[in-house]
Amino acid sequence: MSTKKSPLNRLRRSLGLETQNEWPSVARERLLAYGLLAVYVLIIWFPIYYIFITSIKPSSEVLSLPITFLPQSPTAQNYVDIFTNRPFDNYTINSMIVATTTTLICITLGTVTGYSFSRFDFMGNKSLLLSIVGARMIPPIALIVPFFQIMSNPPLIGGFTGSLYDTRLALILTYTFFNLPFAVWIMKNYFDGIPESLDEQARIDGCSRWEAFVKIILPMAKPGIAATAILAFIFSWNEFVFALVLTSSEQAQTLPIAVSLFVADDFVDWAHLAAGGMIAALPGILFGLFFQQYIVSGLTQGAVKE
Amino acid sequence: MSIEKSPLRRKLDKLFVPLTVGPTLLWIAAIIVYPTAKLLFSSLQFRNPVTNELEFVGLRNFQRLILAREGSDAALGVFNPSFVSFTTNTVIYVGFSVSISFLLGLGIALLLDKDLKGRGWFRTAVIVPWILPYVMSGLMWRWMFQSDFGAINGALQRLGIISGNIPFLSDGALAMMALIIADVWVFTPFIIIILLAGLQNVPEQLYDAAEVDGASRWSRFWNVTYPFLKPSILVALTIRIIFDIRALDLVWVMTQGGPGKSTEVWASWLYRTAQVFNEPGTGAALGVVLLAVTFAIVASLYKIFGESPYEA
Repeated sequence: MSTKKSPLNRLRRSLGLETQNEWPSVARERLLAYGLLAVYVLIIWFPIYYIFITSIKPSSEVLSLPITFLPQSPTAQNYVDIFTNRPFDNYTINSMIVATTTTLICITLGTVTGYSFSRFDFMGNKSLLLSIVGARMIPPIALIVPFFQIMSNPPLIGGFTGSLYDTRLALILTYTFFNLPFAVWIMKNYFDGIPESLDEQARIDGCSRWEAFVKIILPMAKPGIAATAILAFIFSWNEFVFALVLTSSEQAQTLPIAVSLFVADDFVDWAHLAAGGMIAALPGILFGLFFQQYIVSGLTQGAVKE
Repeated sequence: MSIEKSPLRRKLDKLFVPLTVGPTLLWIAAIIVYPTAKLLFSSLQFRNPVTNELEFVGLRNFQRLILAREGSDAALGVFNPSFVSFTTNTVIYVGFSVSISFLLGLGIALLLDKDLKGRGWFRTAVIVPWILPYVMSGLMWRWMFQSDFGAINGALQRLGIISGNIPFLSDGALAMMALIIADVWVFTPFIIIILLAGLQNVPEQLYDAAEVDGASRWSRFWNVTYPFLKPSILVALTIRIIFDIRALDLVWVMTQGGPGKSTEVWASWLYRTAQVFNEPGTGAALGVVLLAVTFAIVASLYKIFGESPYEA
């Protein structure tokens, strides 16, 4: 009991207890909190674990009883299959092009516009900002009819005729509709947090407005831009409804559509679906693990500061 | 840097706001205002099944949508039975999903707000479900609930709780329950993130003061935490509700509104009407209803909660 290195004492110390015989309510409360959190995490990660092991089981094992919670003969065959028998390379490239382009458009426009809304009083800026925020509330699903009509039969601009239906461009244009207002709003809030005296000092030092923005303020806004970019990328990467309405072949279909295509009328190819699902989920899991603080700060900037 | 200012520089400086705001406004006009105007316009049109032409029909689409057609059965006196039943489904789905995930999210946020070692790891582990594609999450839960090879039936059997298979997704009430579980799984992280940020606003001294006063845990939450958390709760609930009313992904890949029409909600009804049945006018009318309901919900939530004295 009295040896300094017993596991019990280590536990006590890690719970912040100084003396050996003290088990106050604080410690008990912490243990309880750890316990509850651990149970919660185990429960919510179990489905992810189950779809993952399904993706590395041979199809025969997936559809045999009793079901196994540890794969008996792990294999990468399902992953190989979806890239050889199905155009998963196309789907992945489509997803990447659409998500990246949408993100670039939204952070470029969102950053410069957010800066102006943060710094300048111009005609109608308050009501303009309010309508941009309001635009975030428009349900995308409500607009599937007009977007389908517009993309199948776009208005004549510069002599362009023809349909944008089943093109990546249609998805990129459509995805800016929910990402751009969000980007403007997050960036405006982020710039609000950067003191205006920095702009003024730069102007006194002889910078033009553009130089002050690009050289002084923009570098300080990098974390905000990163948060916006990560969220816009995730929203675009995961989008399903417009991809369902606006695309019909592998020249534009994205990964969420590709995964849903494993569901046939009566039969679902679960082993391959699981592999495709893991591919579609990969960026989200990676972003979540490595850039969690950006996602949290972006959402908080975007939502709480109403 | 030079102090002199060339005329060009001065001119460019004057154009700063138009050049930084103008393109975005034009873009928004093209990609948000124009489609929304077109939605309102389409909701007044009807595709004639014989000529395949779009005809202007005034408010008839809304009438067809909400009121019972002449000579057919009506629900609650005058309403279209589909409208009543899909609205009920939507209310059940959104009501249960939002309240369960709110209570769960609040609990987890309060736990994560404690000064625990490894808090960052827990936070990461907890938010991942929200970042995954909803389609993949929906299919994952469909697989979990699958009656023969799904993990839930498998686990329940192994634990000896049930002997046969429960056909979760082919029973109306169970399918709705499965959908709600998937929805809670996907969206609870969002509640956690927003409430956790709100909890940062509670001044630590107030907790200490309450403890000195011997306030109970409940009274500490109600009198200290809640007033500071109120703005975050409002935001979390608002966004959660309006995003659930419009959500198609989970429903479409898990049940497609079935079995029968027992999980058909507004979003899947809209998609089915507009795309599957090729009735853009009726679909657009439903879109307008959805839009109006969304704004009404936001307005009334802000009215109910009122302005908080502790604005973030």
